Amino acid sequence: MLSAAEWQILLVSFGIAARAVAWAMLVSIPLAWVLSRPRFPGKTILDAIAHLPLLLPPVLIGFVLLLVLGRRGLVGHWLEGDFGIRLAFTADGAALATAVMILPLLVRAIRLSIEAIDGGLLEAASVLRAPPLDRFLTITLPLAGPGVLAGALTAFAAALGEFGAVITFAGNVPGVTQTLPLAIYAALQAPDGDALAFRLAWISFSCAIVGFAAAAMLQAWSRRRAT
Amino acid sequence: MNDELSVEAHLRFRSFRVDARFCAPANAISALFGPSGAGKSVLLDLIAGVRRLDSGRISLRNRVLDDTSAGVRVPAHERGVGLVFQDARLFPHLNVRGNLNFAASRALRLAANRTVESVAAHFDIAALLDRRIGALSGGEKARVALARSILSAPDFLLLDEPFAALDGARRAAFIATLRSMHRAFGIPMLVVTHQIDDAVALAEHIIGVAAGRVVAEGPLQDTLSSAAMRALLAKRDVGSAFPAAKLRSAAAMHAPMQWVRADHVLLAVVQPTGLSARNIWAGHVEALEQEADGAVLVQVRTEPGALFARLTADSVSELNLSLNQPIWAIVKAHSL
Repeated sequence: MLSAAEWQILLVSFGIAARAVAWAMLVSIPLAWVLSRPRFPGKTILDAIAHLPLLLPPVLIGFVLLLVLGRRGLVGHWLEGDFGIRLAFTADGAALATAVMILPLLVRAIRLSIEAIDGGLLEAASVLRAPPLDRFLTITLPLAGPGVLAGALTAFAAALGEFGAVITFAGNVPGVTQTLPLAIYAALQAPDGDALAFRLAWISFSCAIVGFAAAAMLQAWSRRRAT
Repeated sequence: MNDELSVEAHLRFRSFRVDARFCAPANAISALFGPSGAGKSVLLDLIAGVRRLDSGRISLRNRVLDDTSAGVRVPAHERGVGLVFQDARLFPHLNVRGNLNFAASRALRLAANRTVESVAAHFDIAALLDRRIGALSGGEKARVALARSILSAPDFLLLDEPFAALDGARRAAFIATLRSMHRAFGIPMLVVTHQIDDAVALAEHIIGVAAGRVVAEGPLQDTLSSAAMRALLAKRDVGSAFPAAKLRSAAAMHAPMQWVRADHVLLAVVQPTGLSARNIWAGHVEALEQEADGAVLVQVRTEPGALFARLTADSVSELNLSLNQPIWAIVKAHSL
């Protein structure tokens, strides 16, 4: 079915997307929780920052990452000098760029499922002596769980297709940072790559459909469970 | 002053205003009584701390829970005030045992007689412990919610129309459960209700609320006979609290007091004989009060307690009723 080269592209894509979702999740769960709270100073600004990757050109995101985290960037220089961590033009860098790009998608999905929870249940938990963080971990998160998972699946499918930020910050290194869309791009640049590009496009398309269907099924299941 | 819940609450939301001031003893069952929309549930929310006061002060046994002038506000989870909601609010992702454990594991100090198993047995839900919340009936949910609140070992328990989902015999049984729970666990309670029968069957102390204000408060019997309290009642609910032990009723009674409606009491100027009614007391006319529509409310003093009878103006003049006149009051067992 798939050639060794195609398998490698698929594996790189899945590895980077999985890491991106995991990292984005760590940021987006607390961020979504904070944003779902009624009012606090700076909410609008925080909301805008969380949406930025959606509004800015992906190439610009990659460029900003390069400026900050590149080998000569302020943070990148310190990370490499003191910790030996290199991000630019590595698989970790590709995952980071992807994580930034899917962040708005995840925050939105998680925030919606948190806001859909009956506030009365949280009141009930508070009069049973559960403090805020406790309520979040034992009531909010489990009830939002299916929605969070569905959001993660959608974000994973989107992560497989991330292009601009990745190629700018992490380059297009076969076997390291060359994900599906980057491989399609490279194949199209090659003189006789049309057939490969076409096969990769089909693989990419199938992954997106499977991811989307899984997310839809998860959401339907969680709605059934809630009633 | 020190063994009570003391509330002074001011709040305004939309077009509604709450300006309430009352005390409830911290060793008894009190009823917060008033018509729907009087602001009773809002008061419970304020005491439990799930809603914020505009201004006022709430304290429980000298512990200040809210004092807006001093900037004090104890968050709901640190108040030790339990609240049983009208809609139970059980956690749908946990089963019955999970809901009970949620409360028990966060209780500060749990008496030895308050294990999940023993409390579940007390509320007759031991067989439901592994049930999903969605598979419970309304009455079962109400009992699980009660058991859950007991397991969190509150210093004071607020109940918002806990019998709203129940009717008839199940309601009477639930009231009996509440009373036995008060005896068994010694937790003071403030129960919201808009049904005078429930308030009388449950409480020793009553607080009457209308349009966000407290119109009467005090020990049950004294307060119920006040004009302000009577004004809260619907016309057909006017009556008096009567010792249940002295009544013969068709239904089993679990409470020390029973509400006897004025529309259910007959009067006779001679001692009745050959009547089917099970309750006949001798007494004298204590007061005569003309109602707006011409009917007359006759207050009769009998040895066990006061009764009201609502008569038409015609029958009052025909019987030639006057103050202090000897009279017999009659109540059918099946009207109770």
